[in-house]
Amino acid sequence: MKRVTFRTAGTRIVQYRLLVMLAAVAIFGAVSVNDFLTFDTFQSVLDRATVVGFLALGLTPVLIAGQIDLSIGSALSMAGITTIFMQPIIGNVPAALAGLAVGVLIGVINGIIVVVFKINSLVATLATLLIFASLALLVTNSYPLSSADPIFGIPLTSDLLVILTPRSAIFVAAALIMFVWLKATPSGRNLYAVGSNAPAATSAGINANAYLFMTFVISGFCAGAAGVLQSLSTAAGSPVAGAVMLIPAITAVVIGGTRLEGGRGSSLATFGGVLALGALTALLEYNGVPSYTQAVYTGLLLILLITLDRIVSGDGTTTSRTHRRGRVAPNTPSNS
Amino acid sequence: MTDLKAPVTVPGIVGARSGAGSVLGRISIPIAIVVLVVIGAVTSPSFLTPSNLLNVLNANSTVGLIALGMTFVAVCGGLADLSVPANVAMGGLIALGAQPAVGAVPAAILGLVVATLGGVVNGVLVGYLRINPIIATLGTGSVLLGLSQLVIGGGIVYGSPSAIADFVSGSALGVPIFIWIFVIVALILQPVLSRTAFGRWNLAVGGNYAAAAASAVPVRFTKGMAFVLTGFLSGLCGVLLALSNGQARPIIGTGYEFVAITAVVIGGSSLFGGRGSIIRTVGGVLITALIGNLIILIGFPTQATGLITGAIVLAAVGVDAYFRRKAGRE
Repeated sequence: MKRVTFRTAGTRIVQYRLLVMLAAVAIFGAVSVNDFLTFDTFQSVLDRATVVGFLALGLTPVLIAGQIDLSIGSALSMAGITTIFMQPIIGNVPAALAGLAVGVLIGVINGIIVVVFKINSLVATLATLLIFASLALLVTNSYPLSSADPIFGIPLTSDLLVILTPRSAIFVAAALIMFVWLKATPSGRNLYAVGSNAPAATSAGINANAYLFMTFVISGFCAGAAGVLQSLSTAAGSPVAGAVMLIPAITAVVIGGTRLEGGRGSSLATFGGVLALGALTALLEYNGVPSYTQAVYTGLLLILLITLDRIVSGDGTTTSRTHRRGRVAPNTPSNS
Repeated sequence: MTDLKAPVTVPGIVGARSGAGSVLGRISIPIAIVVLVVIGAVTSPSFLTPSNLLNVLNANSTVGLIALGMTFVAVCGGLADLSVPANVAMGGLIALGAQPAVGAVPAAILGLVVATLGGVVNGVLVGYLRINPIIATLGTGSVLLGLSQLVIGGGIVYGSPSAIADFVSGSALGVPIFIWIFVIVALILQPVLSRTAFGRWNLAVGGNYAAAAASAVPVRFTKGMAFVLTGFLSGLCGVLLALSNGQARPIIGTGYEFVAITAVVIGGSSLFGGRGSIIRTVGGVLITALIGNLIILIGFPTQATGLITGAIVLAAVGVDAYFRRKAGRE
């Protein structure tokens, strides 16, 4: 009986972890920081979460399809550099589009490597991570570029509507569009089918390869958007901007509940994960916690959630019992 | 060194390789090394000098240690250990930070122990709780690196001169101690992976987890131990680097996980388990080391290293995947 209640409680916590987390952050914030629960705080949390948020958003369909994209950080750096470099040459808006195009191009390259050359996405995107991180350092000679028009990006982080800034509004809109696509269109549903069981999806007439390819393009596009937004709002294109963002992005997606095994996930859950992570970071910063200690909390949170997920999912106990039986079966006579 | 054995295959668990893929798989690493050496000898007169070659090996033997551990992780189907930089940092920081309190040698041992404990945490999460290794080690890496920075306050730790520091930065018989350590660890681990029960468990678990479990292989222990081993070797790398540099900072291991994975992949061990050997990884370490050296000697900017390494990973894995598919169709 106890076991059942523990499990039910655990399942509830895992199910509503986003709410639990946000509530916990809100309570601790309200107690420890003056004026924490204000629209201004919310606006700043959301605004600062936008860049990692776009990376996490792009990662979501990739994970649903059962793949992974480690190159998003490098794609972010490349897109940012391109945008800042092109600004004086072709103008602000075309430069931003060029940055997006670089992100898409990197996604296309990943997609071709995975789909055409049949290289597993973990290895493929590890290689493109190295390649584009290296390329970003090469073309900039390891120095960050500064923008020719630093004023242009400022409005992106200004006040727009209660809790929204222009760039966080773009992020929210992107998350909503992806939610509609994943949940309400046939192609979105097909993506889940491909992620759960690619051979079965293929037998059912779904072009699994096309879906895999598309997820990498989306991920590249989102990384490009993250790079463009970040470089414009900071008025600088740093070759190492994306290097530190891969882990927070993956953490945000996992907090949201999207699984690496594929077939499960949602862009709104990712949005929630991004928000929860951003709120936690803001709370820690307001309390003067140094950044390396924040990494401890973020990492612990990631491990805790995924362990809870594993323990309560039931999957873990079934397999461990099977193994125990498997380990004793050949030598000892079965007594059941 | 050129006598590359085919990876040990467990009948019925790991599919036998056949035809061109197998032959190519056996000779491609020696060929690549010979080609790189020839290119180096042609392009730069200073390449084929003992001091240059020893320097190259010396600089790569510490990260090579990690690649040896990562081979076990890859072979047992554990994908990769991304917490390597944290364990390297833990080893290095503790080896120097604890010196005033306990002395140089106990501090070094303490560094090794703590890094190994980091590996134990990974092993429990991946082996026993069956959490995806990428996620688990990302998480532990983040936690451990943060903790190590917290302990030392985010700065640099300086060591004091000691006999053990002089020893590890010195050389014996004209060969630096770092290279000796790498060679000795490789010589120990090669038979461990190819000849012992533990090694065969790794291959079996990586080849077919369910079948290995049904065959009385302690699957969870095996997978866990591969991460413990990598934690230990990462710690050893950190301790050696810290002692020889006389200082350590939390970023000393940054990027080492990717270098180690690259060496494993270039060597031809599968990241998805069931196939691989230590001698292949040694070959992979040599290839990445030579590439890095050639880039400098030819005069390419050092930033190009990742570009060329990444391209070679893609080429190596792509060719391997092509022959594997071809062998499968025949």
